[in-house]
Amino acid sequence: MVVPLISLILLCPLAAFAVFGLLGLANRRFPRQDYLSTAAMLIALACSFLLLREVVPEPEAHTVNWVSLGSVTFSMGFYLDSVTAIMLIVVTLVSSLVHIFSMGYMHGDPRYPRFFAYLSLFSFSMLFLVVSDNLLGIYIGWELVGLCSYLLIGFWFEKDSAANACKKAFLTTRVGDVGMFIGMMMLFTKFQTLSLYGEGGIFALAASQLTTGDMVWLSIAGVLIFCGAIGKSAQMPLHTWLPDAMEGPTPVSALIHAATMVAAGVYLTARMFPILTETSSLVIAYVGGITALVAATIAIVRFDIKRVLAYSTISQLGYMMLAIGAGSYVAGLFHLTTHAFFKALLFLGSGSVIHAFHAMHAHGHDDEHAHEHGEDPDTEHVLGSEIPADQDMRNMGGLRHKMPITFITMLIATLSISGVPFIFSGFWSKDAVLAGVLGRAMEWNSVHHYILFIMALSAAGITAFYMFRLIFMTFFGEPRNQEMHDMAHESPLSMTVPLLILAALSLPIVNTLWFNADYVKPPQQPHLHAPTHAQVAPDTKTGGTGFALSLFGVSEAVAAEEDAGHGTQDAHADDGHHGHGPAHTIAMILSICVAGLGILLSWLFYHRRTLSAESVATTFRPVYNLFWHKYYFDEFYDGVLVALTVWKARLFAQFDGTVVDGIVNGVGVVTRDILAAFTGAFDNRVVDGIVNRVAQVTWAVGGRIRRIQTGAIQTYLFVVLAGIVLLILIFRAF
Amino acid sequence: MEFTLKTFIFYGFALMTVASALLVVTVRNIVHAAFSLMVTLFGVAGLYVFLQADFLAATQVIVYVGGILVLILFGVMMTSGRLEMRIHIERGQLLLGGAVALALFMLLLTVIANTPLWKNRIDDGIALPPTTEKIGKLILNGPFLLPFEVVSVLLLVALIGAALISRKEVRD
Amino acid sequence: MTLQHYLVISAILFTLGIFAVLTRRNAISILMGIELILNSCNLNFAAFSRFMTPADISGQIIAIFGIVLAAAEAAVFLAIILAIYREFGSIRPNEVDTLKG
Repeated sequence: MVVPLISLILLCPLAAFAVFGLLGLANRRFPRQDYLSTAAMLIALACSFLLLREVVPEPEAHTVNWVSLGSVTFSMGFYLDSVTAIMLIVVTLVSSLVHIFSMGYMHGDPRYPRFFAYLSLFSFSMLFLVVSDNLLGIYIGWELVGLCSYLLIGFWFEKDSAANACKKAFLTTRVGDVGMFIGMMMLFTKFQTLSLYGEGGIFALAASQLTTGDMVWLSIAGVLIFCGAIGKSAQMPLHTWLPDAMEGPTPVSALIHAATMVAAGVYLTARMFPILTETSSLVIAYVGGITALVAATIAIVRFDIKRVLAYSTISQLGYMMLAIGAGSYVAGLFHLTTHAFFKALLFLGSGSVIHAFHAMHAHGHDDEHAHEHGEDPDTEHVLGSEIPADQDMRNMGGLRHKMPITFITMLIATLSISGVPFIFSGFWSKDAVLAGVLGRAMEWNSVHHYILFIMALSAAGITAFYMFRLIFMTFFGEPRNQEMHDMAHESPLSMTVPLLILAALSLPIVNTLWFNADYVKPPQQPHLHAPTHAQVAPDTKTGGTGFALSLFGVSEAVAAEEDAGHGTQDAHADDGHHGHGPAHTIAMILSICVAGLGILLSWLFYHRRTLSAESVATTFRPVYNLFWHKYYFDEFYDGVLVALTVWKARLFAQFDGTVVDGIVNGVGVVTRDILAAFTGAFDNRVVDGIVNRVAQVTWAVGGRIRRIQTGAIQTYLFVVLAGIVLLILIFRAF
Repeated sequence: MEFTLKTFIFYGFALMTVASALLVVTVRNIVHAAFSLMVTLFGVAGLYVFLQADFLAATQVIVYVGGILVLILFGVMMTSGRLEMRIHIERGQLLLGGAVALALFMLLLTVIANTPLWKNRIDDGIALPPTTEKIGKLILNGPFLLPFEVVSVLLLVALIGAALISRKEVRD
Repeated sequence: MTLQHYLVISAILFTLGIFAVLTRRNAISILMGIELILNSCNLNFAAFSRFMTPADISGQIIAIFGIVLAAAEAAVFLAIILAIYREFGSIRPNEVDTLKG
């Protein structure tokens, strides 16, 4: 059952794209590409749900040999375990909803069919990446989603900012991809295979063959592969492309740049989990932690609604990385899943808001340019920094009455991401991450992990703050721009229905259907050695972060979670590490505190206005500037990397111009002036000389001899007769 | 060898032939040369008579004297102005040509004198019947029929060719 | 009169003809020299016929053919001379040297 289902999941979106592509080749357009693509995604979604039950007993791998090069064989195949199944659900579900949403949002776009074709291609690529059982397949899918991201960010390529953003996204992620490729090649050099699972797979070989001496090497390989994830998941320091990627259509932002593609990096890191060493884990954790904190702080000062969400995405992805780096495999993937839903919801909700304003623009008030140029004179000149009027939160406010469905669904998502306790899935997943980190810290008595925990906790508080800032600025208060406010309206059904479905998915009860300790089991990490305890199974507590609890209702949640945690812990680690219980309780209490604090501050700043954001910004001007300028990453890249590259290019150009050209010209000069001159002289003197001399001699001889040819018959006759006489005399003589 | 009238006449013809031939090659006036040639041809015809070749002698007179010589005279008239009548001779050419001719003559004399087969061939003096009948039979009814026809065709060709060559060019 | 008499006369005529052909600067004089040569040949034929094969007169017939050839030759020769005269305005053989190397 597995193979046909996976094949169907892959082939449906591919077929939808193929219809577009083939018709495009025939220079025809299929007018109902939207229905076709959406139907394909719904079939894939149904298949994914069917697969969910298939996977329970054992992971399944189905592999065929693809290419044989010498003694090396590259295989292609599916690997289906619980993580694959969950990722399939996430991708197909979000993708289906985004398809439906796009029918309303993209309605009337001149390239409407192409948009859906791209979405189909993206879905296929992402699903291919998810089900691949080897690094080569993952890499192929990886680059394909990168391509789709490029195409979709630049979907409105008439806009310079969009065209630049898609190039920036492509090139920035490429930096990470190079590292990933090198890492892959390192593994390939060592193991002569790119397959991950099974007897001859990398994991089995790594577990059996590597010695402690290989740990440095393995750490480097792990970090290099993680570089790909840094690029794709927009971690520090390659995160700068993601905010600019918001130039694409909002459904694209929801699907690719919030829910699925950026999560591919997390997925890859999770896939590589068994070969992560202590060092590479720590690197991953730190990258994730720093990203989570830094991106959250940047998000505080954004005014563009989509940029806020973009930085929020980066921050949350950092969480996931942190979780995996800290060994909380299940927590990371759980957060990935919940985040996919509520972040997709947030983006689609913001899309709904933008659509409301945008539709107004379409109705004739074409003052977009005035806003673009009139506002924010001190805004940085970095790529994509101008805020379109319909995305600027300073133009919004009081929308909750105009757009009730959008408001309520977005509020649910915000509560979820902010970690409001118990009824929202975000709380549980974030809590699981925090607990995992703290648990590891207490277990290992590790300063690093305490630091990471503090970072994550701060980020959680800031997240709550800026998310409620968004809600307050957008939906509460008085309308700031009355004209725009008057034109705003609730979105059509095709847009609100996906919002409602996603809102439902933000409730934890839905996620527990598949996300429980029995379903997802963390793989072993044979190369991860705890400093104090050997061979810890650190995930046991987070793996059971108690989602069964939701089944019993909110009030019993904590207790049930504790039970679940104990149960799994007992099952997995017999001697029992009791650090996890207190860790989880502490983490939960702290996370509730910081979330509450963040929401409270936000309420004070942006709703009650007891505190003035402007005065705080003035007081802490340098900090504010740092946030506003996004820690000067773009400036740094522009000023240092780009300048360095340009300088290097100039240097090379100069090298090219002087040395290489010099050599080439020198060789040319030598050839021409010496060799050619020599051979030319030889040719002129000797060869031509011989030829000419022969001709001259012939000429001279002929000139002499021709005198014989007098033309006078009598002379001839005379000679003939004289000859006869001589001949006779000679012959008579003998 | 008794010195008879016949012998005298023979020597007379021989002398006439040789002397006139000498004149032919020596006189400066071409018309004079032509007339000297006529004398030579007559002399040769006489010698033919001595050889009892009467038909040949008659043919010689008719063809040479009556035909070729007239032809030569016409040629002289048509190609030479009065000034051209004198034949120009260069001294060097004269000496060289004379030397070669003399050498050739000496060789011929040597051959003639030293060939045994040719020695002591004396004219027996027997008068043969006129040769015309025999010649006619040999030519028209004998082994010389084919050569005769070939020669007649040759003559025809030569006449047509001569007429074609010598006529004024027709510009077409 | 022996054969050698005739042969000597013939040789003299031949030599004189050769001399004329070699030295004369007039085409018609050359023609005359050629006629002398031909005559010497014919005389030889007749003489050999008379002295070597008295009963056979084939030599005379050859001589007759020789005369015919001489006539044809003279006709063609004169025609050529006329053509050359028209072309070059002269019948001096050393002036007709287009083929000079």
